[in-house]
Amino acid sequence: MSLFSKKTKENASHKDDLLPITRKYSVLAGRIYIVEESQPVISFDAFLNIVSTPDKDSQRVSGLAISRQHPNLIREKYGLEDVRIYWLATRAGDDVISPTNLGILTHTIVKFAEDSKRGVILLDGLEYLVSNNDFNKVLRVVDQVSDHISQSKSVMIVPVDPRAFDPKELALLERNTEKMTAASKAK
Amino acid sequence: MSTLKILIVDDLDAFRKVFIEMLVRAGFHDVVEASNFDQAVERFTRERPEICFVDMILPGKSGVEVTKAILQVDPKAKIIAMSSIVNKKMIRESLDCGAKDFLLKPTNDIALSSVLAMWSD
Repeated sequence: MSLFSKKTKENASHKDDLLPITRKYSVLAGRIYIVEESQPVISFDAFLNIVSTPDKDSQRVSGLAISRQHPNLIREKYGLEDVRIYWLATRAGDDVISPTNLGILTHTIVKFAEDSKRGVILLDGLEYLVSNNDFNKVLRVVDQVSDHISQSKSVMIVPVDPRAFDPKELALLERNTEKMTAASKAK
Repeated sequence: MSTLKILIVDDLDAFRKVFIEMLVRAGFHDVVEASNFDQAVERFTRERPEICFVDMILPGKSGVEVTKAILQVDPKAKIIAMSSIVNKKMIRESLDCGAKDFLLKPTNDIALSSVLAMWSD
């Protein structure tokens, strides 16, 4: 697996690729945002919006997506050409993270958060991780990642289907996380 | 409560109904509706709304054509393109034809509030 040898494409990105549209979602560096939704619609909209618009310092935010959806599908569907995307799947191959390999998953997120001057991470597939592991193991990953993100300039968006968790599990997931809010006018 | 007038152009009655409810919740009560190109241009010309939300995919003439027609009536019109496909290429095409911003369909209160805050003065 070439997870650690791959150079990020963020250096090749150009400011010209940014879209002159409203930054709709207000996110603060160092935070994790849980988005309760049955399909990750708001989460992907927020991710695309954040990587496609300049932040308050007029800077580009680099993106990392880890999803149950295949990277080619995500690139085609959202037009995300300059974002690193990993597929959460049991198939072997480049850009694939096994749902049972929580160490690689944690390392990938932590390394991106530490390496990015400004980064946004989308972790889509928490239900799949739980179905392949124990809930407490997945919670430990979120907590561990949270410790690193809180010391970085990155943010992480985690869509969660509330139907897939009991109230206690949801409460534990939301313990150290934030809810996304509307961005205030920046122009 | 805002006194701004808003035009929604979308062929789906159900979507317009839900969208109006969201606008009312956000404090925007003066809303005009249109379901196609002809209605959109007629309503815009007659009502002169401050903000227009236009679905890019309409039966017959598209949202791009609606946008261009409204801008011919008023080049300063604030048009927010909408689509159920959130794709950088589509967003760029919408902006190229004169839209000021882009909103995913179905939208959510967070995104709508941000767009309204940006364009409501």
